[in-house]
Amino acid sequence: MSLGVVITGASTATRPDGLPAPVRSRAARAERLAQLALAAGAGALAAAGLACFDGPPRPDLGVVLGTAFGCFLTNAAYQRRLALTGPAGASPRLFAATVSNAAAGELAIACRLGGPAITLSAGAASGLVAVGQATELLDAGAATAIVAGGMDAVGEPLEAWARDGGFDAGRPLAEAAAAVVLEPAARAVGRGAPIVGAVRGAASGFEPDWEAAEAGAGLAAAVRAALAQAGVDAGELALVVSAAPPPLARLEQHALAAAGGGLPRRSLAPKVACGETLGAAGVLGVLAALGALAPRECGLVLDVCPSGHVAACVVAGPEAAA
Amino acid sequence: MSLRTSAAVITGCGVVSPFGLGVATLWEALLAGRSAIAPIVGFPAGDLVPNAAAEIHGVVVDDPDRAGALALLAAREALAAAELDPHAVDPARFGVVLGTTCGGMRIFEAWDAAAAAGTPPPADVARVPYFAPAVRLARALGCRGPVATTQLACASGTAAIALAAGWVLSGRADVVLAGGTDILSRFLVAGFNCLRATAERARPFDRDRRGLVLGEGAALLVIEDAAHAARRGADVRAAVLGAGAAADAVHMTAPDREGGGAARAIEAALAAAAVIPAAVDFVSAHGTGTPYNDAMEAVALGRVFGAAGPAVHSIKGAVGHTLGAAGALEAVVCVQALATGLIPPTVGLVNPDPACAVLDLVRGEPRRRRVDVALSTSSGFAGANAAIVLGAP
Repeated sequence: MSLGVVITGASTATRPDGLPAPVRSRAARAERLAQLALAAGAGALAAAGLACFDGPPRPDLGVVLGTAFGCFLTNAAYQRRLALTGPAGASPRLFAATVSNAAAGELAIACRLGGPAITLSAGAASGLVAVGQATELLDAGAATAIVAGGMDAVGEPLEAWARDGGFDAGRPLAEAAAAVVLEPAARAVGRGAPIVGAVRGAASGFEPDWEAAEAGAGLAAAVRAALAQAGVDAGELALVVSAAPPPLARLEQHALAAAGGGLPRRSLAPKVACGETLGAAGVLGVLAALGALAPRECGLVLDVCPSGHVAACVVAGPEAAA
Repeated sequence: MSLRTSAAVITGCGVVSPFGLGVATLWEALLAGRSAIAPIVGFPAGDLVPNAAAEIHGVVVDDPDRAGALALLAAREALAAAELDPHAVDPARFGVVLGTTCGGMRIFEAWDAAAAAGTPPPADVARVPYFAPAVRLARALGCRGPVATTQLACASGTAAIALAAGWVLSGRADVVLAGGTDILSRFLVAGFNCLRATAERARPFDRDRRGLVLGEGAALLVIEDAAHAARRGADVRAAVLGAGAAADAVHMTAPDREGGGAARAIEAALAAAAVIPAAVDFVSAHGTGTPYNDAMEAVALGRVFGAAGPAVHSIKGAVGHTLGAAGALEAVVCVQALATGLIPPTVGLVNPDPACAVLDLVRGEPRRRRVDVALSTSSGFAGANAAIVLGAP
């Protein structure tokens, strides 16, 4: 049974001067991760015709964001100052911005979102996990529209930590943010919203050991679950958006074959051009698929992180939403 | 708005609290009205003002990944209580969702110092990210189902249980180990101190409350599909009847003084549970002991329940504010209240704040009453709010 969730707006992080004034004002004072979320989230809401910057919070609108490393850069700035000056020099402004959900909070305040505000981390699969969680909330009636997005801020402290053995993405880290607005199809049609695509199925999984003989089984299970939810056979897929870092590419192919075979000949790999955009990667994958799919085609978007987090999402062109 | 979670049940709980290992240890201390708050000795804190906290002593002494180690200990107790062999669960339908606010922060502090000094990084540097404790747990259990970390600041633990119940209800998982873990660090204590949010003693809902006291801990619950639990003959401790979440959309660090987000989250959870407010017997409140939070919560609970509301308790005078673990610890308290018909007193509450007069606060002694429905609420920075409704099996 397909989810019946459509995409009515999408955006990547944009230039600050392209943002509405209330959002630009908040972004100017916010830390980097929140700036990225504000840019992408407000842009997606505007594209969906749901932008609103004043009035009481709208309880039927929510936000679900995914981020691998949250406010790592802000944490580093706060910690360095604390280490140098002691507690007397600790910055309340920086500390208040060290929570990873600051980005969702800023977006909720700026765009008057009073429904669920959830921030998730699932490593570099965070963005696609966020999309899946948003569809689950919509399916349960927890909101009538949800901004689902992903983002990670990349800078020297994060890159230094990664070099020190913290995280090997297999590709250069890159900063990005992307968001979509998801709504139940009936609601979107009812309000005459632009439908740019659909999320027909989504599931996430985990790989406890990439070296084990069973490696790939978690991803295969997620792919099977997403396809089953979408009511789509693997053979019906027009394309696959690949996401695995180079050392795991073979396992990704193996998992896809195990999930149903009949792999589509077309594949996209945005990370080859963009680098490892971490929390943004899955949502950028959705946007890449929508850009490449014909109106009636379906595609499979994957997210794979060396941490073990994996996710799969079946997206469709605007005429294959049902 | 709301999330229906009627098919998700709790079959086991595990806790590491400042009182020590185990649910029984925590419960006994709570009923006795004890507090674990004391001057910090686990790391240099002489220059931290205030320097009181509820620390865990003697449980995890040689594992740099303290947050992950605490979570593992709590998970083992929860699985044992559920009489569940993790290897007997279909790995593809076995998940983990863990809430944390600053899980790997002590390793981060060590890495920052090493990086600044040009010395080698600490061995466990890869366990810095907030998703690391969930990964450690999932690897230990061999999970191949959904694994995520909820990041809703102090509402993370409650949100984790809500997500787990949702995964079970949606059919994505048979079993999810859900909860929260957080540890104390200089990073954290100095941060809350510089926000002037802390005090030497936590006095939730008291007229003389001055602020929160931080704590550390981990709590895990086995959230299981009711049919799966029935097939293996598991003892069901409670049911997750409903969950809700809502943003304040008002301020990044201060709660909405009208309690808007908290009330919406509670109302959503009750609606999802198909439970009327009058049917709620017990509320495990967020109750941090800060002037603004407790006043906000009184407004929110008053909006939902009116003047004749349920018994209200806060755990934070006893174990401090354990941040990402708090909601999970409080869920365990709810499970215990459902099972025993006892509600622990709110440690530190002596003179109830007239501004909180709408609340039926439990203080002094444990209260004995039948508890069929319990509500746990959490709120956090950035206007995050989450609530869950638990029911007797």
